[in-house]
Amino acid sequence: MKLATRTKLEIFVEAHAVDEIERMLRGMGFRGCSVFAGVEGAGSHGSWRQTGVEEAGMRLVVTIGAEQAAQAALVWLENYFAAYPGVVALSEVKVLRAERF
Amino acid sequence: MGALESIVAGAAANLLAPAVLFFALGAIAGWLKSDLTIPEQAAKTLALYLMVCIGFKGGVEARASGLTAELVSAGGFGLLLSFAAPFAAYAALRSFGGLDRVTAAATAAHYGSVSVVTFAAGSEYLRAIGVEFGGYMAAVLALMETPAILAALLIAGAPGRIQASAQSARFKPTLWREVFLNGAAVVLIGSFVIGVMSGERGMARLDLFVNALFQGALCLFLLDMGLVAARRLAEAPQLNVRLIAFAIGWPLLSANVALLGAHALHLSLGDASLLAVLAASASYIAAPAAMRIALPKADAGVYLSLSLGVTFPFNLLVGIPLYHAAARLLYG
Repeated sequence: MKLATRTKLEIFVEAHAVDEIERMLRGMGFRGCSVFAGVEGAGSHGSWRQTGVEEAGMRLVVTIGAEQAAQAALVWLENYFAAYPGVVALSEVKVLRAERF
Repeated sequence: MGALESIVAGAAANLLAPAVLFFALGAIAGWLKSDLTIPEQAAKTLALYLMVCIGFKGGVEARASGLTAELVSAGGFGLLLSFAAPFAAYAALRSFGGLDRVTAAATAAHYGSVSVVTFAAGSEYLRAIGVEFGGYMAAVLALMETPAILAALLIAGAPGRIQASAQSARFKPTLWREVFLNGAAVVLIGSFVIGVMSGERGMARLDLFVNALFQGALCLFLLDMGLVAARRLAEAPQLNVRLIAFAIGWPLLSANVALLGAHALHLSLGDASLLAVLAASASYIAAPAAMRIALPKADAGVYLSLSLGVTFPFNLLVGIPLYHAAARLLYG
């Protein structure tokens, strides 16, 4: 089994930002991503819950790519988080079929 | 029956309406931390359904009555109310409520904008007691959603600030899309236009869908609203007595201003009552979505808890019959 090292970004943002984040990731060289809907949670601004009424939609965007692309995305996100809420985590992962990332 | 007895009877009848009782059931379940939940997608579908019904029925009735002076008057006055209200609400929230500038502006947007479900509950209340109103009030509802959001942006200086920040500038198109093309506005206005276009023949085809099922769907949606409102209140440490007083006092004030204006414009009793309900209601769908983009530093725990946890239940339980009673007193 041939595993390669890549960088994974987990970006947790409000739903309205997802299109912009996806565009940014493509621009930084990421070849894909997956988006998951949040259910409920708590953070520095208190607790939140996704309901059908308030639209407090939170999304987790997960992407895997090159270390350089991830660093560039982090610079963009640092700027973004100065104005909007969210969280980003970076980790090193091992992947199969490295040519896809 | 005297005016007071009539008001008390109306209020009692409202409290015993199935929709209001389902709201109370949801609120009690939420307060007792029951595991009762309405799935998110089901709640969204119910909200869409209610908006389709309100818009479509309003469109059909507006076509039947034609473009009247009442429609123009009510629409123009509704627009003015929605745009002007946030300026006064902002001043009250800053001085009396003690909120910071951005949170006060975002909260003011909620109190200038309107609540579709409060409108639906108000319409059902008037129908139940046999008071007629113009179908075009659905169009007035749609007109009153957006101006308050624009006023709040002016108050907070948001357009300038958005441009000032390179990062935020990227989100400007998203903001305008959210303000003018949010799902609620598109469905409501779209359904109204479809109702106008299809008229009575369209109504004959959709009668069962938009009329017979409406009350049941409203009950289910209000059950969810009760759950959400109770949980919101339980998780709102930011709220204090002054803010809660604002969330109850402001609708009373707005409703009376709307009633005086409606009376001066010679609108009918039913239209005046509904305009008061709209003015007294606070948004919790369109405004929060826009404020999250435009004023991200505003405390959502404040504006959502006030509009959803205090003002909405107040209007549903007490406000609607009270505003109609005030209208009856004014109209003699």
